[in-house]
Amino acid sequence: MRKIYRYPDRIFLAEDDTDVLYTVKFYSNGNSGLTLVNVPGPIDPVIEDEGTEFIGKGRDLRSEKTISVSDIANLLPTENVIKICYLLNNQLLVEHINPKSEEERPIIIIKIIFPKP
Amino acid sequence: MKYKIMVFMLVFSQTALRAQEKLNKLEAPSSPASSILSLQPTTVLSPKSYQALETALYSNFLNSEDNVIVPNDFALEFTPYWTKNHGLSLEEYLYPKSAFDQLVRNSSFSVASTQKFLLGDSSATSSLAFGYRTTFYIGNRKDREIVEKYKTNLRENQTIQTRIVTEAELLSESNEITGNYDFLERIKDTITKAIYESGKCESMNKAEELTNNIYKEAASLPTLDKSKPLPFLDSLYGLIDKHLNANALFNKFKTYVTERYGFTVDVAYANIINFPANNFEFSYVPRQSFWITPAYRFKDNWSVLKVMGTFRYEWYNMDYYKQYFADINIYKNNIDYGLALSTVFKRFSLQFELVGRYSSTEIPAGTDSKGNELYRKDQNSDLQYIGSFKYNLTNQIVVSYSLGNRFEPIQNPENTLVSILSLNIGFGTPTTDDLDL
Repeated sequence: MRKIYRYPDRIFLAEDDTDVLYTVKFYSNGNSGLTLVNVPGPIDPVIEDEGTEFIGKGRDLRSEKTISVSDIANLLPTENVIKICYLLNNQLLVEHINPKSEEERPIIIIKIIFPKP
Repeated sequence: MKYKIMVFMLVFSQTALRAQEKLNKLEAPSSPASSILSLQPTTVLSPKSYQALETALYSNFLNSEDNVIVPNDFALEFTPYWTKNHGLSLEEYLYPKSAFDQLVRNSSFSVASTQKFLLGDSSATSSLAFGYRTTFYIGNRKDREIVEKYKTNLRENQTIQTRIVTEAELLSESNEITGNYDFLERIKDTITKAIYESGKCESMNKAEELTNNIYKEAASLPTLDKSKPLPFLDSLYGLIDKHLNANALFNKFKTYVTERYGFTVDVAYANIINFPANNFEFSYVPRQSFWITPAYRFKDNWSVLKVMGTFRYEWYNMDYYKQYFADINIYKNNIDYGLALSTVFKRFSLQFELVGRYSSTEIPAGTDSKGNELYRKDQNSDLQYIGSFKYNLTNQIVVSYSLGNRFEPIQNPENTLVSILSLNIGFGTPTTDDLDL
């Protein structure tokens, strides 16, 4: 069965007026992935492969838990490890590393809360 | 490091390492150094970092007193570019911007050695071989279409899974959920919408049908325990993945990445250093080989077909062979040229190849009246044709059989019949390419 990697209860302190930017950065070669960030409100940002998306002001993110789900695939025969970093406002939130012998198509779930500083 | 272990059952073949003795098949060798030594190593080291490379070399080429030795049955392949992460996207990997990028990315270096390189008098000597190989690929429109189709399908599945997983993770934390039935009823619309809106199904009815197929197997899911929901959730994600055929699609795409339609050219070089007195201070370079192997993989209905050509030049050191292989006839320059046609049908493959060889040597023929040295040219030509059959019993067990007529061996020149059956058992995910069958 496909392996799921979970990173629960990550905390990021954000002022009410702070713009929060969510970044997915691939470090291993040849990843293909999609990341959906579930935030309060009707529009959930999507990041195709890697990139940065505005996910809301600090005050907008407090009402419920934010969940980031990435579905990743690594097709390269030359690559042994999948390494992906998740950042909030350029601060490292999660560094995910898994050997491909363990899973070539990981699903990565990160749960984040945004309390006031 | 990746290890491969091979077991060979040779019905008719010689295993001694002799010059020009190996069955020289048409394709470029995956490890030129092992190939030129005619070595079928039990282990091929493939270090993935410079530290691992150093360790492999130091531990094999230095003995306990730190003296340099030539290890027996040693083979190593090293691809420098892939020792680092370059952050290449899949697009950048599949479509390098220049031929230079391909040269750098695909360059691999190989080292092999043996202590059983037999001279003409059957004495065993130590030999080292060094090799280099790279591959160039020229894609075509069909390749782009295929890659785009795979990427689109992969993205559809990723879109579906991320939406469902997000919703399911939130739902699992809800206090209102009473059990499996309640959970599945609440998430059913999300699953259907995710499938439809991803573009995987052309109509809502088809999306509902796919959802219903998933739900038919939902009874096999473990009971949702609110305090430990992960077994239920992970099984649900696995069930959805199965019905999306996501793993099969991924594996097909992964296979295609290594076997793309279009034109490839393999370029390889290798040489041998022999120590005839088993003394490190005294060596010869008896032989060097250079391969160019263009290949074309057809598309659509002809996609099971691959056509390969080859040009292989081998140079022999005549002084060396005169001294250590006095009784055999060696040509200094050998040029092989030929064509092969191969087909692959799921687990088995067939290949037929036809290779011509032109060999020549300039032999001193005295001097003319002015004292200039004269030479006469001794030349020969030969033909090799071989049919091969391979069957993958499992991913790690391959049976192969080759039948045909080989180039005249140096020893026993009448002995040209080829009839080789081999059984290869691999550990550590070897591929048939690794096995040099």
